Amino acid sequence: MDAEEGLSSIEASDLLKYLTEIEMVAEDVLSSRREIIDLDRQRNKTREAVRALQKDKHRDKTWLCAGNMFLKVEKSKAISTLTKDYDELDAEINKVRSGLRPKVNKLRDLEKKEDLKGFDLDPLTPDEKRSVESLLL
Amino acid sequence: MAAATAEKVQEIREVTRIERIGAHSHIRGLGLDDALEARQVSQGMVGQVKARKAAGVIMEIIKEGKIAGRGILIAGQPGTGKTAIAMGMAQALGTDTPFTSIAGSEIFSLEMSKTEALTQAFRKSIGVRIKEETEIIEGEIVEVQIDRPATGTGAKVGKLTLKTTEMETIYQLGQKMIESLTKEKAQAGDIVTIDKATGKITKLGRSFTRARDYDAMGAQTKFVQCPEGELQKRKEVVHTVTLHEIDVINSRTQGFLALFSGDTGEIKSEVREQINSKVAEWREEGKAEIVPGVLFVDEVHMLDIECFSFLNRALESDMAPILIMATNRGITRIRGTQYKSPHGIPIDLLDRLVIISTQPYEEKEIKQILKIRCEEEDVEMNDDALTVLTRIGMETSLRYSIQLITAANLVCRKRKGSEVDVDDIKRVYSLFLDESRSTQFLKEYQQEFMFNEMTQEEMETS
Repeated sequence: MDAEEGLSSIEASDLLKYLTEIEMVAEDVLSSRREIIDLDRQRNKTREAVRALQKDKHRDKTWLCAGNMFLKVEKSKAISTLTKDYDELDAEINKVRSGLRPKVNKLRDLEKKEDLKGFDLDPLTPDEKRSVESLLL
Repeated sequence: MAAATAEKVQEIREVTRIERIGAHSHIRGLGLDDALEARQVSQGMVGQVKARKAAGVIMEIIKEGKIAGRGILIAGQPGTGKTAIAMGMAQALGTDTPFTSIAGSEIFSLEMSKTEALTQAFRKSIGVRIKEETEIIEGEIVEVQIDRPATGTGAKVGKLTLKTTEMETIYQLGQKMIESLTKEKAQAGDIVTIDKATGKITKLGRSFTRARDYDAMGAQTKFVQCPEGELQKRKEVVHTVTLHEIDVINSRTQGFLALFSGDTGEIKSEVREQINSKVAEWREEGKAEIVPGVLFVDEVHMLDIECFSFLNRALESDMAPILIMATNRGITRIRGTQYKSPHGIPIDLLDRLVIISTQPYEEKEIKQILKIRCEEEDVEMNDDALTVLTRIGMETSLRYSIQLITAANLVCRKRKGSEVDVDDIKRVYSLFLDESRSTQFLKEYQQEFMFNEMTQEEMETS
């Protein structure tokens, strides 16, 4: 009787450990997704700001908000700062995206599902794609 | 994102199969459990436990992609489920693994040499997995604003507001984008994707939230959910194409339309070599994976000695699929020679194969199969009739009794009965002869058939 109970409690703790691990990995995937969305929103806002500044032909200087401080800076300086931000955001998104795939595969592994087939391949270049395009329906 | 793309993978190549009720349409798989033990009745398979188990083991190896260039021979008497097992393997492999099925006699054609037909069949069974990746902007159009210059001519400028469930943003539009937006007739409420590299706009449908905007709407208006997540997405799609498809596309004289007309003619070996080296290059660069598929050759004894020696050679190439063959012959003459060999296959090829043999069905199994067939053909049959039909199946052949199901059903419907009973079976049994009764009949009345006089006279003179 005691032995049985002991066994089941070991099984229960194993199960709990297993479930915790899955939840943790799943949470990780979700937070990465969230991060991409937030970064993309920032990226779009930055892009809108750059465009707005480029269109505005009347003033030489503009207000730029850094943290919780407003600075009056040269428009060209503001544009270059924002463009740099934009590029950094772009790189950051790509980094998070590349990290997402192993995480998803790890989750699938824990859930005893097969790995996604072919997603670890490198994509074809546009030229190569064109040569087989009619096959890719 | 990865999860979303995973769903897309399933979508590809989902061509609706227009299938009539064929002889093996009830087969859904091999009917094995996780431990590869064959369940007595499962997925349309009945009995043949040993053969199915063997097939299951081979399936596992195929899935691992390990035994490219090996052969399997399924041997057994007629009507013991050889084709059924091959079909089951095809079903169990799923859509991602190429499965080609040909009959041995199919390769004898006037338009194509035997080896060409075989090579094409081989290359149809080798898949190449490739990935395409595109950056797209996907969202619901909130507003399109196009400013036309007052003079009427000159560059137009505009704004496009897009949103997902998470965010909303404004894009400034140039002349080109405005043109393609007008061409696509994109308006507020449409869900669109814009390819970042080419600027191509694709309309996916209208947003559900706009479903009640108008009362009169075209029948083809498709409603879709507003996209989730980020606006600028990376879309990855994995395709599995066969080597043969790539061959056909690149065989210049034909053009890609040839793929659909089915008449591909012969493909030059230079084209094949080029493709082989290109695919090898892609594989080196990590851009492609080779998916060895399965080539099933039914009635393999119909191949002749030239084909066998070709197979011998072709199996050794590094891009060879798994070859499954089926035959119902015992020791017989190899086609194209005077020599006899087991299964009508030369010994040297036979040596490279693993052989699965199928056993004749037992009474219980025949009954089960007939029952499954009744369900497949939507025929109601009572137990007595099924027992009688099983006896017929035991004494004649399984195929004959399966054929009686449909016939008996028609007789039953004619007398406006709801389920087939013993009398219906008896009636069709008397209407349609089975093979042994037909032979019996011929033996009795041979003299009265045409051309009989001639042979009779000849025999007398000789």
